[in-house]
Amino acid sequence: MSDPAIEPTAREITQARLATLGMLVAGIAHELNTPLGALNSNHHVIERALLKLGEILEDEVVTPDELDEVRRVVRATESVLRTNGIAVERMVSLVRNLRNFGRPTTSEPRPVDLHEGIEGTLALLGHELREIEVVRDFGELPPVVCHPNRINQVFMNLVHNAAQAMGEGGVLTVRTRAEGDHAHVRVADTGRGIPPDVIEEIFEPGFTTKGERIGMGLGLAITLQIVHQHGGDISVESEPGRGTTFDVQLPLRQPAGPARKEASE
Amino acid sequence: MDEIKPDGGTVMVVDDEDMVVDAIKGFLELETDHLVLPFTSPRDALAHLEEEPVHAIVADLMMPDLDGVQFLTQARRMRPEATRILLTGYADKENAILAINEAGLYQYLEKPWNNDALAFAIRNGVERSLLFRALTERMAELEAANDELAGLRQRWIQAFL
Repeated sequence: MSDPAIEPTAREITQARLATLGMLVAGIAHELNTPLGALNSNHHVIERALLKLGEILEDEVVTPDELDEVRRVVRATESVLRTNGIAVERMVSLVRNLRNFGRPTTSEPRPVDLHEGIEGTLALLGHELREIEVVRDFGELPPVVCHPNRINQVFMNLVHNAAQAMGEGGVLTVRTRAEGDHAHVRVADTGRGIPPDVIEEIFEPGFTTKGERIGMGLGLAITLQIVHQHGGDISVESEPGRGTTFDVQLPLRQPAGPARKEASE
Repeated sequence: MDEIKPDGGTVMVVDDEDMVVDAIKGFLELETDHLVLPFTSPRDALAHLEEEPVHAIVADLMMPDLDGVQFLTQARRMRPEATRILLTGYADKENAILAINEAGLYQYLEKPWNNDALAFAIRNGVERSLLFRALTERMAELEAANDELAGLRQRWIQAFL
């Protein structure tokens, strides 16, 4: 599967990056919208609450009726602040998930907890997975030396494809295991599957079953290339109508010799 | 338990996200006299509608299990007099426009929503629902009166035959 004739070109790699970026932006906008909506509304509530309290205190006398109103306003503000705390936490966690995607590609490989990248991917693609049941079958995985942003692109492409294959409803299972000297990440969907006559071609640049989605067809070619650059491999099993499983294997120890240089950026 | 405020009307708020429901509830309770019924499950909300009427329903579009359009379409069948308002997220405008007919939407608002616009839509929605109910009652009264007249007429005719 490393025939140079079917390796993606630099331009195709850039296109695939842009496609991933587009996916990320849509996901982030969607994921930010909910906490942002709550914060925006609550900010307004707190403003109004303070205004009300200010009006009550203006004449420096608080009547028993006003005292009830003060209590009500304070209760409402407390509840709104609790919601704000949750909303802010959600946004902080989103940015934390993005951190690994945003690292410059030229950074040195480093030991990475793959589960962190998988969780980040699932969070960022949350809007695509809303109708899908996500099963995390995580085993014990030692840190894997890799470029986390690139490996996360692998997870993102596979999870995105799985979501697309299932449409509405289905089960996405992400299974991680350390087997021998490799870490395995299996991404399995219960989608429409890949017909046997094209399964050999799916890793070729330009292959797509999605017709109009130019650029997305590169997803698997890039995915395979990234995994190869890390000294790993991908295998696929699929049954039309039942689903597809991609198995990403990454070496737990870096191959001897100098770390392989990435393809020219 | 909050006191029931019949004048302000009852508003059902349905979103699978706690923080959205809490924010809207917090705002409406502070700023308006509506009685707010919060739900994070559209199925639970439908079960409630089965038992009790409401004046306005605010529902999110993107919900797992039952989306906002499906939910409001079912709600419309159960409680046609309840005014339906859809909250839509990022880039869902096309779906929202489709829903205007399917779910008989009164209005849709985009997230992040503006509280004043939301309060305005809800206030008008509650008024619309109260008018709808008053109209339905008047129609029933008219029909009853009509039936009574028809009965009288029948009795008069029979008396003279």
